[in-house]
Amino acid sequence: MNTQRVWFAFFIVLALTLNFGFFWGEIDNPDHHSPFEFFLALVVSLVATVLKIGDRSHIGAVLLATSLVADLQLIIAALIWAYSSQVLGEVSPAMMASIVSLAGGAMLANVTSVILLLSETIQLKR
Amino acid sequence: MSAHERSPAQKTATPIWLLLVELRTPLVVLILVYAVSVLGLVLIPGEDDQGQVWRLSFLHAFYIVSYTGSTIGFGEIPYAFTDAQRMWMLFVLYASVIAWLYAIGSVLSVLSDPAFKQLRNHRRFVTRIHSLKVPFWIVCGYGSAGSELVRFLAEHGIRCVVIDGDQGRVDTARMSELPYEIDVLKGDAGEPQVLVDAGVKHPLCRGVLAMTDHDQINLTIATNARILASRVPVYSRSERDSTTRNLLSFDVEVVIDPYRIMAREMVQLITRPAAYALYQQLVDPEIRNVPEPPVVPNGHWILCSTGRFAETLVDAFRRADVAFRLISPEPLRTGGVAGMVRGLGTEATTLREAAIGTAAGVIAATPDDGDNLSIVLTAQAENPALFMVARRNRPTSEPVFTAGPFDIVLRLGRIIAQEMYARIRSPLLHQFLVQLESMPEPLVEGILGRLRAKQLPTDAHMTHFSVTLSPSMAPGACDWMSDHTLTLCELLVDPDGSPLPALCLLVVRFNGDIVPFPGEGFGLQMGDQCLIWGDSRAEVRLNWILGRRDVLADAQQRAMAIRTVSGTA
Repeated sequence: MNTQRVWFAFFIVLALTLNFGFFWGEIDNPDHHSPFEFFLALVVSLVATVLKIGDRSHIGAVLLATSLVADLQLIIAALIWAYSSQVLGEVSPAMMASIVSLAGGAMLANVTSVILLLSETIQLKR
Repeated sequence: MSAHERSPAQKTATPIWLLLVELRTPLVVLILVYAVSVLGLVLIPGEDDQGQVWRLSFLHAFYIVSYTGSTIGFGEIPYAFTDAQRMWMLFVLYASVIAWLYAIGSVLSVLSDPAFKQLRNHRRFVTRIHSLKVPFWIVCGYGSAGSELVRFLAEHGIRCVVIDGDQGRVDTARMSELPYEIDVLKGDAGEPQVLVDAGVKHPLCRGVLAMTDHDQINLTIATNARILASRVPVYSRSERDSTTRNLLSFDVEVVIDPYRIMAREMVQLITRPAAYALYQQLVDPEIRNVPEPPVVPNGHWILCSTGRFAETLVDAFRRADVAFRLISPEPLRTGGVAGMVRGLGTEATTLREAAIGTAAGVIAATPDDGDNLSIVLTAQAENPALFMVARRNRPTSEPVFTAGPFDIVLRLGRIIAQEMYARIRSPLLHQFLVQLESMPEPLVEGILGRLRAKQLPTDAHMTHFSVTLSPSMAPGACDWMSDHTLTLCELLVDPDGSPLPALCLLVVRFNGDIVPFPGEGFGLQMGDQCLIWGDSRAEVRLNWILGRRDVLADAQQRAMAIRTVSGTA
């Protein structure tokens, strides 16, 4: 068993699960979407990106690309959240909806990552 | 994707990628430290100025961690921290600063890693070569011959790429004060990949010059270049007849054997001084003055030499029927030499044994500079009227040889560089030099006399150049020739009617006929290529005249007028 592979898979799957937890709920209801869960999802997604750097195979390149997509979506969602809560004063349901939908997009990228990871694992000879 | 972009060297990782891989751990540490710090600040309750509970938002927490981590420290905003927050800030402070130091330290250690630097330099070099937009030559070996040649080429604006395996020489090449920047690649030129990196497959590569000190490496370079890019000409140096034959067997364009050239020059000096002077002026771009044939006394020559050079010298002197006595520490492999004296020549007794009293000159050409100097000084003490030729082996001995009492100094590297340069600079020049070999001495003297009759300015700066009488290169002259005849003396006329300070040495006709030393009345035709030799100012004037029919016609009339006036007077 390779410790590095464990951490690699751990962060990729964790990024998906946290994001799912944040995404689940009524789309425009701020009470259903915890900012802490969002924060953790963003951090784990960033760490997963860094871990994916360095694999020069084709699948490694696609994995990195999906991670970059997830980061981009989550960072934009974070900027919108910070702007609406701090500058506008409150998170309106419309703002919440756009934040959650951006996170949903990031989740699709996370799902792709996990699928790639699984397909690579299944191809491995035991 | 073209063929040369698929080479293995290009498949290695780009430097930025390597850097990122090395930075993975520091980046993860940095992200986690920031995340934990921000989370702590958000979770720990604070107080506002009225003593109410106040929680930092993620935005504020991230802001505080950012300015703390970067050691800017704006202070405790928006409200003074509670003790619990201050305890957490202590952790944030140290953790974030350490994480940053770790990350920056990793970046610096990767950047200063010699292997990383070399990879970066190499990639930069390869990218630069592949994006070159001007023709260039690949010079393999930056020794005495290579450095002289690179200087000649750079001074005439010919771009070159240098390959050398020695770091000291690479540094010398990089630091050299040349009018053009040269590209230097550190590597073994005998390896095919190095040649490819240097651009042998580049469409603008004009040729490969194998100039290393080792015949075997030159041979490898020549074969590799021939196979990798068969259209690229290869010029090689060779110090053995077997290498020369080997190189010629696969049609290497030019093979230069410095020993044979030196021997030929010595014979030329003794038997045909005028041809020697003309030859030297033409091949050496640094001899600027009008050549004066050296005055060589009569008598036999004393050769102090050994090994291959002695063999080629003896061979050349025998063929040319020049009387000589050889002083050599060991018998030649090619056979015995009548009257050979055993020894170095550094002692007066050996020189006397070789009849120095009646000799014409001494050629001190041992492979040791100290011995050569000693031979010349001893010989001069014995017979002050001698003609002194000394061979300089090491470039570092140059100051003594420049200052010493020598009529001629033989420099191996320089001779190779001259010969290569003469062929690179202009194909016409080389054709002329071949003709000069078999030209009778009186004819050459006549040429030098004709040049003197042109009354060159005292500060004349002799150079040679070629002109082509084609509609694109000389539109004015071609237009004029369509309804007039044009002779050489009519062409070489200044717009004010006086003759240009230049001579035509060679004309190559459109059909390939070669006319050496054409007379003044030689009729020019369309498509002629002329090798012109004269003051450098003549080049600009002539190129101007060739482009303008009106100027040419004007110059003709004035020259005619001058001739009639001087004719009647």
